[in-house]
Amino acid sequence: MTIEHHPDIATLMAFSAGTLDGPYATVIATHLAMSEGGRETLSHMDSIGGALLTAEPAALMSSGSLDRLLGTLGDEKIEVVPHDERGDDALPLPVQSYLPEGLVAVRWKWTGPGVATADLAWGDDGKSRLMLLRVGAGRRVPEHGHGGHELTLILQGAYRDRFGVFAKGDIADHDEDIEHQPIAEPGEDCICLVAVDARLTFRGRLMRVLQPLFGI
Amino acid sequence: MTNSDIGQPPVLPGIDDPASLMLRIAQQQDKSALAALFGLFGPRVKSMMIKLGAGDALAEDLVQETFLTVWRKAALYSNQRGAASTWIFTIARNLRIDQLRRQSNKPYEDLEKVTLASDSPTGSMLVERHQVIDRVTAALTTLSEDQQEVVRLSFIHDMPHARIAETIGIPLGTVKSRLRLAYERLRPMLEDLQ
Ligand SMILES: [Zn+2]
Ligand SMILES: [Zn+2]
Repeated sequence: MTIEHHPDIATLMAFSAGTLDGPYATVIATHLAMSEGGRETLSHMDSIGGALLTAEPAALMSSGSLDRLLGTLGDEKIEVVPHDERGDDALPLPVQSYLPEGLVAVRWKWTGPGVATADLAWGDDGKSRLMLLRVGAGRRVPEHGHGGHELTLILQGAYRDRFGVFAKGDIADHDEDIEHQPIAEPGEDCICLVAVDARLTFRGRLMRVLQPLFGI
Repeated sequence: MTNSDIGQPPVLPGIDDPASLMLRIAQQQDKSALAALFGLFGPRVKSMMIKLGAGDALAEDLVQETFLTVWRKAALYSNQRGAASTWIFTIARNLRIDQLRRQSNKPYEDLEKVTLASDSPTGSMLVERHQVIDRVTAALTTLSEDQQEVVRLSFIHDMPHARIAETIGIPLGTVKSRLRLAYERLRPMLEDLQ
């Protein structure tokens, strides 16, 4: 799998810092599970956190905190390296907890011609959401802008827009000033894992019909 | 070195050598090494937890949890990439996400499993990696004040980019471009971690 499109460096830094809302963190983790190069970059960013931690001033610990720690060690179970015994076709772990029975078991909701969605989860503040988007082979998603940050990770199939072709493992990291019109490549339906934080805005005459695209 | 050494002053291979402390924990379940690592990083983890809004008692609890996780997962550490301080940072980060935000799923833990199952061991590199951390620490001070500020607010104060923008009164796009510039500046040091 060759991944061409990666998250914005600023988005990956937010993931490393731990400040992304749940749906966004899930999309980034799922992308990284598919991208060894991305995991390498993340480990570089994590060492920014390591360096800042090293440079932190020392807070005063309560007396007895070390004894408390050492006293509880006996109950702790030592962990060993897990083995991933799932097949190559299995969904990446971070999204699998939402889809224990795989993509075939998803209950899709029709949201426009050739387009269906399924909600997976809401973010911590209820404003962002994680969902699946399915675009029929060769079909187009209506042209739209973004009211906020949108992360789209391709799980199956591919789509094309003015930024290029996005295939399995690729991520589109779009800010609010981006407008685009993705068209699914012929062959198989394109299924994406999407995190959004605001109402999308659609342009053109189909707008009324298509506004409920993401069911918002 | 055995577990009965507790109560003695820990025999350190060098006071600031967290990498060998980690290896002693991993290979010998050496409690005195954990005690030494706790002495080095416990107060710093606590400081970080307080900066992101935890009260004193919660911060102490999160420090306890962090080092229990270090103990539990130490054997995995020989397969982990990065310095001990980096690993402790990521453990503390994951705990604060779980406990302060009560996120239901665990994307970071899932990703850690993927990493452990697929990446090659790098245990012999640990000491060099720690030296790199010193260089990154030094490099962080060469960033512009503006860049240092957004990096610290993000990594230490746990602020999402939008909140950083509000807090210091700059557009969100400027927060992101400062972070990108900071990373570009640090990248040569960070990529030397190979
Ligand atoms: Zn990537
Ligand atoms: Zn879009």
